[in-house]
Amino acid sequence: MSAPVLTEQAIPPVAPATTRRSSWYAYLRQPTVALSVLVLLVMVLMAVFAPLIADEPSGAGPDVLQPPSGAHWFGTDDLGQDIFAQVVWGTRTSLVIGLAASLIAIVLGTAIGLAAAYFRPIDAVATVITDVMLALPTLPLMIMLAAVVSPSVWTLTLIIGFFAWPEVARLIRSQGLVISAMPYIDGARVLGATGWRIVTREILPAVVSLMIVSVLLTASRAVISEAGLSFLGLGDPDAWSWGRILLNAQRSGTIAIAWWQTLFPSLAILLLVLSATLAGMRFNDTRDPRRNGG
Amino acid sequence: MVRFVLSRALKAVLTVWIAITSTFFLLRLLPGDPTTLMVEGDMTPEMQAALLKTYGLDRPLWEQYVSYLRELVQGNLGISFRQIQPVTDIILDRLPWTLLLAGSAFVLTVAVGIPIGVTAAVNRGKWLDRALQGFGISANALFVPSVAILLLVFFGAQLGWFPIGGAIDPDTRGVGAYLSLAHHLVLPVLSLILVQLGPYALTLRTNMIEVLGEDYIRAAQARGLSARRRVWKHGLRNAILPALTLMGLQLGTLVGGAVLTETVFAYPGVGRLIYEAVGQQDYPVIQGAFIMLAVTVVIANALTDMLYAVLNPRIRL
Repeated sequence: MSAPVLTEQAIPPVAPATTRRSSWYAYLRQPTVALSVLVLLVMVLMAVFAPLIADEPSGAGPDVLQPPSGAHWFGTDDLGQDIFAQVVWGTRTSLVIGLAASLIAIVLGTAIGLAAAYFRPIDAVATVITDVMLALPTLPLMIMLAAVVSPSVWTLTLIIGFFAWPEVARLIRSQGLVISAMPYIDGARVLGATGWRIVTREILPAVVSLMIVSVLLTASRAVISEAGLSFLGLGDPDAWSWGRILLNAQRSGTIAIAWWQTLFPSLAILLLVLSATLAGMRFNDTRDPRRNGG
Repeated sequence: MVRFVLSRALKAVLTVWIAITSTFFLLRLLPGDPTTLMVEGDMTPEMQAALLKTYGLDRPLWEQYVSYLRELVQGNLGISFRQIQPVTDIILDRLPWTLLLAGSAFVLTVAVGIPIGVTAAVNRGKWLDRALQGFGISANALFVPSVAILLLVFFGAQLGWFPIGGAIDPDTRGVGAYLSLAHHLVLPVLSLILVQLGPYALTLRTNMIEVLGEDYIRAAQARGLSARRRVWKHGLRNAILPALTLMGLQLGTLVGGAVLTETVFAYPGVGRLIYEAVGQQDYPVIQGAFIMLAVTVVIANALTDMLYAVLNPRIRL
């Protein structure tokens, strides 16, 4: 996509002397990154100021199944509700669940990954559990749990977050293993540092940038998971969500007629997840110039 | 080889056992456990107790667990709440459709992904390579129902090229039935391929670039082997192995995607069954469907690993 742009800009000639600030600048100066960050910012603003942008959609309206127009930018559904308002309010749910679930996954995944990387006995158990979790079909598993608990934004967050950590753990563990083998870790051990201190003060700082990448990538997956569960009827019945708009179209049988009812929430999912993924991947590339060639 | 197959089979059994055990206890520790779900509000306490006794829910947890496992081993997944029928029968009715859908998507992704990945690796930096990189990254952001609905609206409803739902036209016989089957399969399979293909071809490309830089490929070049033979015969053989592992790991995602695609196209597989069961709050069916899908994925994953062993001379013993 923009790999050539990246190789020219991400490794400026001043690379060895880059300060923290200028590497952030180099990161943000890439066009794909700037665009992604802009999209993410707009989404965050939409989520925060949803009540100012559109009234929360509820009840039935007179304009049923209207195509997009000046009055209804994204058209209306079979109940006459405004799709634009549904998409705006859906941004809230998607962002909240995406971020909160990814934070749960990051905390669990980092703790397990680091413990596995440094403490041998834990590694065996953690690897088996991670492998098992990665081998199972996650969506059916989440469906099963979400069906039993009464679905709300918080239960969905917990379920999604709880099943997203294995990928983070695997990533952090592999990086942690490399760092655990470095001489300065041996040095710390010789100086008498405890295992806890080595993991939290020496290894953790070295994986922080990987954690930032993971937050973005895990949040992307969490948004997709939430949309999937909502689409299957397991979303929070009191909160608008992009998956729920698609479900409404599916249930009312308007998929083939009202293209606007499915197109706009789909675009919202695509934009949000694509931006988060791109921002995450480019951050990863900036962090490690050796990867740019691949 | 025998030892490898045995240890892989053991790992598969262990995975399924851990999955079943953890979900059994998780489901019973969650706030809305099966007891409260099944017992309707207006029952007298005596009726509730009798009902719980019938289903064995009044016994200690570990006793329930042992009998649950015993039943599971015999293939008993319980009775559906809504259709008074064994869950196993209901799911086995639907499973072949999901296997057909996910299996076709798997095979076609590999078949199409190999030439794309290899061509992109050989023509590094050219348009196909750049397109693949863009596609590979954005595939991550594709939401299966969105893709499925787009295909349904465009190729199904607007152009009328393909049916918009179902798996087969019941009036067809013989060859016509197979054609109808394939015709109904096109759009659901295509939605899965579109989501799976990018990352797969991209992995293959990366592996291929790495392999093509190795000494034995240069040696082959020095011996005067044609570029085509070097790439497709010597290189591909090694580049394909990590890509195969990736496909094995992606099986869970593939099945998750199938659940969503089936829902959009009213395809009569396990996924559509799950969607219906969610609407009817038929918990034994949902739980049974998860277990069956998990077993399917784990078996398919084990088979992929064994295929890997067959293709990789370093494991073949």
